[in-house]
Amino acid sequence: MKLIFEKSVKGRDGYSLPKDLFEDIDIKDCVPSYAIAEGKKELCEVSEVDVIRHFTKLSKFNYGIDDGIYPLGSCTMKYNPRINEKLASLDSFSCAHPLAPEETVQGSLQIMYELGNLLAEITGVAQYTMAPAAGAHGELTGILIMRNYFIDRNESRHKVLVPDSGHGTNPASAIMGGFELVETRSNEDGTVDIQQLAELMDEDTVGFMLTNPNTVGLYDPKIDEIQRIVHAKGGLLYYDGANLNASFGLFRPGDSGFDIVHLNLHKTFSTPHGGGGPGAGVIGVKEHLIPYLPTPIVTFEDNKYHLSDVGPKSIGKIRAFWSNFTVLLKSYAWILSMGADGLSEVTRASVINANYVLAKLKKYYRPAYDGYCGHECTLTGRDYKEYGIKTLDIAKRLMDYGVHPPTIYFPHFEPYAEETLMVEPPESESKETIDAFIDAMIKIAAEAKTDPDLLLTAPHNTRIKRADDVLAVKRPILHYDDELKIKDELGYTEADIDF
Amino acid sequence: MRYIPSTEEQKQEMLKQIGVSSFNELVKGIPEKVKPKGKLKIPDAISEAELADSILQIARKNYDFRLYKSLLGGGAYRHYIPEAEKFLLQREEFWTAYTPYQPELSQGTLQTIFEYQSYLARLTKMDVVIPSIYDGASATAEAALLSLRVTKRNKIIISAAIHPHYRETVKTYTSPHDTEIIELPHREAMVDLEKLKELLSGDDVASVIVQNPNFFGGIENVAGIAELVHDNKKTLLINTIAESMSLAVMKAPGEMGVDIVAGEAQSFGLSLNYGGPYNGYLAARKQYMRQLPGRIAGETVDTDGKRVFVMTMRAREQDIRRHKATSNICSNHGLNIAAASVYLSLMGTEGLYKLSLLNTKAAHYLEKILLKSGKFEKVYTYPFYNEFLLRSKSSISTLNQQLLKNNFIPPLAISQFYKGPLWENVLLFAVTEQLSRQDLDRVADILSS
Repeated sequence: MKLIFEKSVKGRDGYSLPKDLFEDIDIKDCVPSYAIAEGKKELCEVSEVDVIRHFTKLSKFNYGIDDGIYPLGSCTMKYNPRINEKLASLDSFSCAHPLAPEETVQGSLQIMYELGNLLAEITGVAQYTMAPAAGAHGELTGILIMRNYFIDRNESRHKVLVPDSGHGTNPASAIMGGFELVETRSNEDGTVDIQQLAELMDEDTVGFMLTNPNTVGLYDPKIDEIQRIVHAKGGLLYYDGANLNASFGLFRPGDSGFDIVHLNLHKTFSTPHGGGGPGAGVIGVKEHLIPYLPTPIVTFEDNKYHLSDVGPKSIGKIRAFWSNFTVLLKSYAWILSMGADGLSEVTRASVINANYVLAKLKKYYRPAYDGYCGHECTLTGRDYKEYGIKTLDIAKRLMDYGVHPPTIYFPHFEPYAEETLMVEPPESESKETIDAFIDAMIKIAAEAKTDPDLLLTAPHNTRIKRADDVLAVKRPILHYDDELKIKDELGYTEADIDF
Repeated sequence: MRYIPSTEEQKQEMLKQIGVSSFNELVKGIPEKVKPKGKLKIPDAISEAELADSILQIARKNYDFRLYKSLLGGGAYRHYIPEAEKFLLQREEFWTAYTPYQPELSQGTLQTIFEYQSYLARLTKMDVVIPSIYDGASATAEAALLSLRVTKRNKIIISAAIHPHYRETVKTYTSPHDTEIIELPHREAMVDLEKLKELLSGDDVASVIVQNPNFFGGIENVAGIAELVHDNKKTLLINTIAESMSLAVMKAPGEMGVDIVAGEAQSFGLSLNYGGPYNGYLAARKQYMRQLPGRIAGETVDTDGKRVFVMTMRAREQDIRRHKATSNICSNHGLNIAAASVYLSLMGTEGLYKLSLLNTKAAHYLEKILLKSGKFEKVYTYPFYNEFLLRSKSSISTLNQQLLKNNFIPPLAISQFYKGPLWENVLLFAVTEQLSRQDLDRVADILSS
């Protein structure tokens, strides 16, 4: 649709500013000539009405969780409660400046402190840091904690073990942490190959990053052996929290031997994804790793909450200020709403949902592995290759049924998990919505055989048709002035941009 | 349970269809040994009304900031946020959506990102914009890592007049990579150009990082700095910006020889939120396009030839390249892109310029009247944007209490970050359009009584 720049009309405005009562101050006396802009920088000239209509229209070109099921595997797209949004927008919280005197922000500090304690209980660790802004940020924090722990012990270790099924962020975080990456292979059951792990885990390795259930959605039955192998060599076990939704009431990572636990509050704890964030990737550690946490942490002494320095062994700061506070507040509210029994029910309902999808769809989309799954299941579209159909086509066709596709092509490792469709139907999806999803998937399975073209050209009912990713890379247009430079070459008609 | 729609009967039905008699059969994979013995020690569920009440009780332990005006900045600024923006952000299609992996269902998010990239490209006059890194500090750290990769050098010079949290974050991010961080001292609150020249003489520096306006509000001579830096062809100049509002009145980094801008966009329509989430960004020259970390939206066409938008240049990213990615970043602060995009659209060319002007002028007015009161003295003489340093002739703790009592959030005591006798009783004042001339006169009255 039309860009805001194409709706701009010279002389129109949408701002409302107090009158400039500082006629006695001349900008030329404030900003030196070497720094002052020559003229104004052109943004756009539109009214408030134009802005409201522009973005309202844009919003209608989006699909959100309130539009229907959003079964992205490993993403835990669950309902985002309204009350939590409301509470996070209270002025007392939203207008709190991060450097305001401690006595003025005791409420904000209390939320951070109490959430840390609740999460420590839920996951079985000693202390949380609220600093990491996202999952990958938390991973980097965890990796740096491992690094400082070994430096402090005068041990020089160079490697990190990551399963081949791990999220892409795991290996990338290991590299950012300055380590050499060693991948462990998954066995034919889709879980960790214990024998290989035992061979690879040595005294040059800081530890092992693992998620449980793992990325194909399976609980690792040998979790206890894994932790023994890692700890026997003095290593640390890191928990990737992307899949915590499958653990409430069933196990606590801390009790299973994990030393560092990372949580994605924007997945398990119900905060919205916002079209890519913001989230919060908080990190919890066992007692022996507390000195290495990023600084500061919130403490409670003399009946007051404080931002306290972690001390000389801390990895330091990983961001400006303290946390993604609003995300923390929403998670805190969600935990209080659910209570202990509610949390167990979250896991029970999501595990039942995923296994139900698996049971109903396994004869149409051959699963990567046999057996029951956790809160998500890994199906594949590999049986449709002979009809010229890829998983991508199945995903695009799903859109025509009004459903957001699941995660595709992740995890990927041959020969078990290729052409994957990873489906995660969280607890907030009812049996009816899941049945509708299953129905659509079964219909598409039939269409793939009888009318493959319908899939290859999908989607048909969406606002736009299939987008050309390759062209975007080959001919990068990354902002409006890039487009203007080659406007003639592009030759868009009015209908191409105004729809 | 209101967030779990399936009834127990439906769950039993699903279990039956799965072919098991109980839930426990599904989770047999979890060894008994690690299963918890008792119930979690967290409070029982409460109703929505009870929840609201209990959070309100906690909120009350904060000051009621609505009733306070603020003199506090230091990397977070209290600007007015138009109601139109707040309402638009409540469109669930924006805030409940995921990262726009499927462009056919995400044009709203993608076009919003593209428009935001366009705004920042014009404000910075740089070629490529990465619209969201977590915040200004992590954006600066990512820019530092990029400079190490591109130059294959390991020395970084960082200004002492950069936000202390940003400097700490750069140190943390670069710590695993055998990096030598050299602090470039300031001279009278501005980058010491003589010293910089000296430090650059080894021809082995990956990048020089300066903030503009700097932590003290000082307007650096970025073009002059760039000239020195680019005496060595390989060294990159990274320009950190904590108060992006300044871009509207100041010469663009792209016109002053900057290679990478690492900015914080909190001032573009984001609440203070006790420190986050805010939104960092990177803007760079074209040659670094494929080295940049983070998501970016690009223009393309669909099969009907319509102009559409997708996430592009994905071959840099962790979910595609795993350990060879330019960064591990995955989720960013996407919704804040929408906030800033709406904000900048509302402000427009004229509004943003006027607003930025107003901030500068109001700050200079406050400095003038505080100096006139005789209770303050200059620490240094330097050009500044909307923040400035003054030394109080009396104890600042008393002054701050006075301000709080009169519903002003006091300015930053700089000794929190900079140690030494020079910094005693020194305050960093920040002024935005939220303080009227009358408010500023009152501040001067309170502080001089």
